[in-house]
Amino acid sequence: MNPHTWRLRISATGGGQATVYSRQHQFRIGTPLDFDRASPTLSALEYALGALGADVVNGLQLLARQRRVAIEQLEAVIVGELNNPLTYLGVIGESGHPGVEKVCIKVYVASPEEEATIQRLWQEMLARSPLVHTFQDAIRLELSLQVMV
Amino acid sequence: MDWPILMGAVLYDPRVSVIWDIIRNFYEENHCPIDTVFYTNYELMVRALVQGHLDVAWNSPLAWLDAERQLGGGCRAIAMRDTDRDRVSHIITKAAGGLTTIEDLRGKTIAVGAKDSPQATLIPLRWLQRHGLEPNRDVQVRRFDVLVGKHGDHVGGELQAFQCLDRGEADASALLDLNWQRWTRDGTIDPQAYRILTTTAPFDHCCFTVRADFAHEREQEFLRVLFAMRYDDPKHREMMDLEGLKAWVPGRTIGYALLQEAVEAQHVFDQ
Repeated sequence: MNPHTWRLRISATGGGQATVYSRQHQFRIGTPLDFDRASPTLSALEYALGALGADVVNGLQLLARQRRVAIEQLEAVIVGELNNPLTYLGVIGESGHPGVEKVCIKVYVASPEEEATIQRLWQEMLARSPLVHTFQDAIRLELSLQVMV
Repeated sequence: MDWPILMGAVLYDPRVSVIWDIIRNFYEENHCPIDTVFYTNYELMVRALVQGHLDVAWNSPLAWLDAERQLGGGCRAIAMRDTDRDRVSHIITKAAGGLTTIEDLRGKTIAVGAKDSPQATLIPLRWLQRHGLEPNRDVQVRRFDVLVGKHGDHVGGELQAFQCLDRGEADASALLDLNWQRWTRDGTIDPQAYRILTTTAPFDHCCFTVRADFAHEREQEFLRVLFAMRYDDPKHREMMDLEGLKAWVPGRTIGYALLQEAVEAQHVFDQ
């Protein structure tokens, strides 16, 4: 079997922005990192963290539907930390690197099901998540689940 | 076409880069492009200025003195914030602590900021010396060396010095007047529980510094744009609020005399 690949086209649109084209979709991404709260675009790092969080939330939601497990509410909070963001800014004399050092994801699930059922679902989602597998091999990835029955 | 003016700044927090982005964009819009180079400490930035790698450096007061010393006086302070002028530091104590005069500090302990902080260490200790109290002989000094090299810009050591006083591990602590105002307003310091024991003579804070050989026309161009910023223009106000100023004003060096005195008395550049 030939490996399945995903092909995206990223076109620089000026002003520190790029447009990403994938299948029939497109979205805009700003600079690699952004420290300005008022910035009009999301940074590449925010997209990466958002993608990881969405992988977890949507993966859990999808499995719940497949396993006929009722979930009333599902939300995640994701916090990412870089090794040293000052190196991204090119600060002379700083050490370290601009890569992601640690990511913490806390997932909140409200469900009428037993907690053990949600925990089984959670473990299965972790085993099947493409991005969790990718990130946990590369960085410190801390995942936790809070079930509100 | 001239190359962009190369400006240096010390960066201790990535969010501060936003201020410099706004300034750089403003210069770009006003047809005077600048590029910014960030340094992790003032020593590296002063070296770059001295060696001619930078056109303009946003210097702390101690970095100004260091540049002036290394260049043998061959530099100019060309601009500063209105709030850089006539600052003072306070030495504060607990309101109920029983200390009423600076002399009461004899035999006591004062908490200060980082060893290179003009406002939280060097000037307050010089103020004690001026009043006949020799640090570590007549007054014990507890120093909080947080992020040394950044000249106390980040206020971390200054805050830890106050917390030391708050815990009862010191009898007094030193801080900049602006931090006293900010921290008594935001609840960090209870103004009923603490009071100012003594206030130093005024001194000036940061300044834009150029070497003496920086081209006059380029300096005038740089200043033309800088002084065109207006606090009543909403586009400028965001940056000016972040940088804590209402107006840019011409640089002056008379306000560094007290720090110069402290530097000599405490042999800062001999270490």
